[in-house]
Amino acid sequence: MIDQGIKSRPQYEPLRPDPAGKRHLLLVAEPTERPDAFLAAELDVETWIVVPRDAEGVAGIPLPGQGGPRRFRSPRQMLDCLAPRLAQERMGLRLYATGREDFLWEIDGIARRAGMGKGEIQLAHAGSHARRIFCVHCRTYNEGVTTTIVRCGGCGAHLFVRDHFSRRLSAFMGVKVDAETPGDVPPAEQAYR
Amino acid sequence: MIITGSLPARVAGIDSISPTLKRFRFEPDGPAEFPTAAPGAHVLVTLRGPERVWKNAYSLVTPPEERGHYAIIVRRVEPSRGGSHFLHDVLRSGDRVELSAPASLFPIASLARKHILIGGGIGITPFLSYLPVLKARGAVFELHQFCAISEAETFRGLLGTDDPRVHVHGTGGRPVFEPILADQPLGTHVYTCGPEGLMRAVAETAKGLGWPANAVHQESFAGAAGGRPFIVHLARSGQTILVEESQTLLEALEGAGIEAPCLCRGGACGVCLLPVLDGEPEHRDHVLSEQERAEGKIIATCLSRAKSDRLTLDY
Amino acid sequence: MGIPFKTDETFRGDFSYRNSDAGVLRFPFPFGEDTYMYSVNIEPHVRGGPSPVFEHPFDVDEHYVAECRERALVLQNDPKRCQVLPHMMPAQWDTLELIMESLAGDYPEHFSLTRNGANWHWINRPLNIDQRFVFGDAATLPCEPFEYITRQAQGDFTLQDQRDDNLYVDGGMVTTQADWSLEFDIGMTFHEWHGPVPLAHNLGVFDRALRYLLRLQYGHPVRRLNWTMTINPRLDTSPENYPDWGPDRTTVTPDNVAQKVHLRVELQTLFRLPRSNAILFGIRCYLISLQDIERVEKWRKRLHRVLKTLPPELADYKGLTRYRDTIIQRLAPMDDGTPLSPGIGPDQTALGTGAR
Repeated sequence: MIDQGIKSRPQYEPLRPDPAGKRHLLLVAEPTERPDAFLAAELDVETWIVVPRDAEGVAGIPLPGQGGPRRFRSPRQMLDCLAPRLAQERMGLRLYATGREDFLWEIDGIARRAGMGKGEIQLAHAGSHARRIFCVHCRTYNEGVTTTIVRCGGCGAHLFVRDHFSRRLSAFMGVKVDAETPGDVPPAEQAYR
Repeated sequence: MIITGSLPARVAGIDSISPTLKRFRFEPDGPAEFPTAAPGAHVLVTLRGPERVWKNAYSLVTPPEERGHYAIIVRRVEPSRGGSHFLHDVLRSGDRVELSAPASLFPIASLARKHILIGGGIGITPFLSYLPVLKARGAVFELHQFCAISEAETFRGLLGTDDPRVHVHGTGGRPVFEPILADQPLGTHVYTCGPEGLMRAVAETAKGLGWPANAVHQESFAGAAGGRPFIVHLARSGQTILVEESQTLLEALEGAGIEAPCLCRGGACGVCLLPVLDGEPEHRDHVLSEQERAEGKIIATCLSRAKSDRLTLDY
Repeated sequence: MGIPFKTDETFRGDFSYRNSDAGVLRFPFPFGEDTYMYSVNIEPHVRGGPSPVFEHPFDVDEHYVAECRERALVLQNDPKRCQVLPHMMPAQWDTLELIMESLAGDYPEHFSLTRNGANWHWINRPLNIDQRFVFGDAATLPCEPFEYITRQAQGDFTLQDQRDDNLYVDGGMVTTQADWSLEFDIGMTFHEWHGPVPLAHNLGVFDRALRYLLRLQYGHPVRRLNWTMTINPRLDTSPENYPDWGPDRTTVTPDNVAQKVHLRVELQTLFRLPRSNAILFGIRCYLISLQDIERVEKWRKRLHRVLKTLPPELADYKGLTRYRDTIIQRLAPMDDGTPLSPGIGPDQTALGTGAR
């Protein structure tokens, strides 16, 4: 089954600080340095980062008045803190995020539910291209998929990993590859690293 | 709901609100009710005077639930093309008029978490149909009406004085918008309707506060600016018409007795687009793409004009 | 007089669905020419057209009762086939008003609507429904207004929010779809939900269609026809249930092709809604067996020619690949190559007995 030729997948540009914004919040989920553009820009940018995995969950408890980026143990912990932070915010904020695709679109969802729109959010892909797959048959999520075909952890169907992507679900669609001729499953190939 | 042609209507009543403001109520001329109108919708009112016909757009001040009548408020304007004079001085209760189906070019933003409405003078009209809808939805909003000091009482009368969210600012100088727009929660949208200068100032203030462009909405019925006169030739009917300096191409067609298609008369809806066979259009609309403009084969007659001396339309 | 509803027919299991002769002749055959390619084939949705299905804004036919029962079954098994995002509540009421007023106005023998201010009284005789409620107060209906009224209408519906120069599919009742998932697609933009359609993006079809729809005017709805094929008269060909209906595609033989293969036509209609400024997209689904198509001379010949010349990417996308040749071989002897009239009408007022 060839599905690809889908033109509606997200395209990512490098993050660019937007001088029209009044305050800037930068979320970095891959434990790398802040994007270059932000080091150079003369804007007041608050940064959140995920500490490297060899820190083994030790992020440090912030002291009052301590400067520097706010540190998180994992992307999941960072995601949990975003909604309460945005609930205190006012018009004029710009939000920037860099990380894996599934992380980016969860950020987008939280920001939109807080009232932010397209002109206020920038997303840039960094790190692995492994995919979160949504099984359309049983609605189970399958995380970190790197192959063209994956067995669904929910219902056991062999799913073809499509390019059709839902920003709302932050996942690609998986459809039973042998639905018409059960048992006829082609070999999986590595494709999304 | 399929609407063919215009809505036949009669003037049900005319109320004098102030020396320059009148409210006109129209009811259906027939058994059916009017269609449900959007909040912020406008209608084109066709007025047939002894020497010419006007088709002017006016915001409805009635809410969607009111299908037994539509109402508009019109300011009598001195240097006008005549439409407001005709309404104020000539139209009588019981007279027949034609109304277009209501059209919506100024909708309430579906995802806004707070709505700030800023009106200037007669620009208050679309917000009069917004208010009952926002209240019924339990929406968070503020309304700020700016006007001359002498008109403040008039607008307080129209808006009421017991809702703390509604403010009338009678002012002699230039209004200041920063105190209104500063410190608003994420997801706030601002809507403005009024003189060009007021709307521009609101947009600039919002931008200066870091608001994104899609959170700023404006409605304008400023008349199309004129331009160089030119000749339009209609290939199918064979007519040749002069488009004068102070009239639009659409008005020139209508003045020659041609019922050319139109709806918003503001270059936004695309209904008036006609194919161009010859000549070079000067595009002033908001509908055609860059490519369509460059190809020059289609024109929005309500606003656009000609760069060449002559334009031939396939009509 | 009213419509003679076929109340017991099924769209699953024993597939007892059949068209009456009148049902066959009023079918919206989609091919006006001998070849098919994508286009922005949108036209005004006026009363009347080359097929009786265009008479009314919302078409009700002999399958109405059975389709509503089938919808209820789908929803019982999968409630997520009807979803509306929270900001679309005004569009829900717009939809209820539009459909109730249309059905009551066009089919007064079957539906009545009485309005007394916000107090509405709706009667649906074929479904035995008598409902009083307060317009605008969802607590006075058994479920939210969009679900409430679309359970009583044929075909799928989506609600499209217009914002930021784009359309977002922010709600839908999707139980008779040709292979797309509401749970997956809800919230997508126009280009995103059309993402999987091959070829059309390169032709600019979706760019033009979007610009056109952004200008859609209240009171001036538009329509177009879309088509595909289904094995057995199955309405629920959702991706969710693909493991259940997918194998049907391999069961087509020369002996059963005329009974099993069904032409599936969508009459797509688009209405601008007043309070919400949203667009209601109706996807009304019509099914006809190949056997019944063969009883209309023009249609059996034209279908043969369309299938013979259909680009392979289209055939693949529409899921026809496995049985397309079987259909062509069946229809070829019935096509003598004589020129056919343009347009979709049957050119017959009575059905033949079939070519074989």
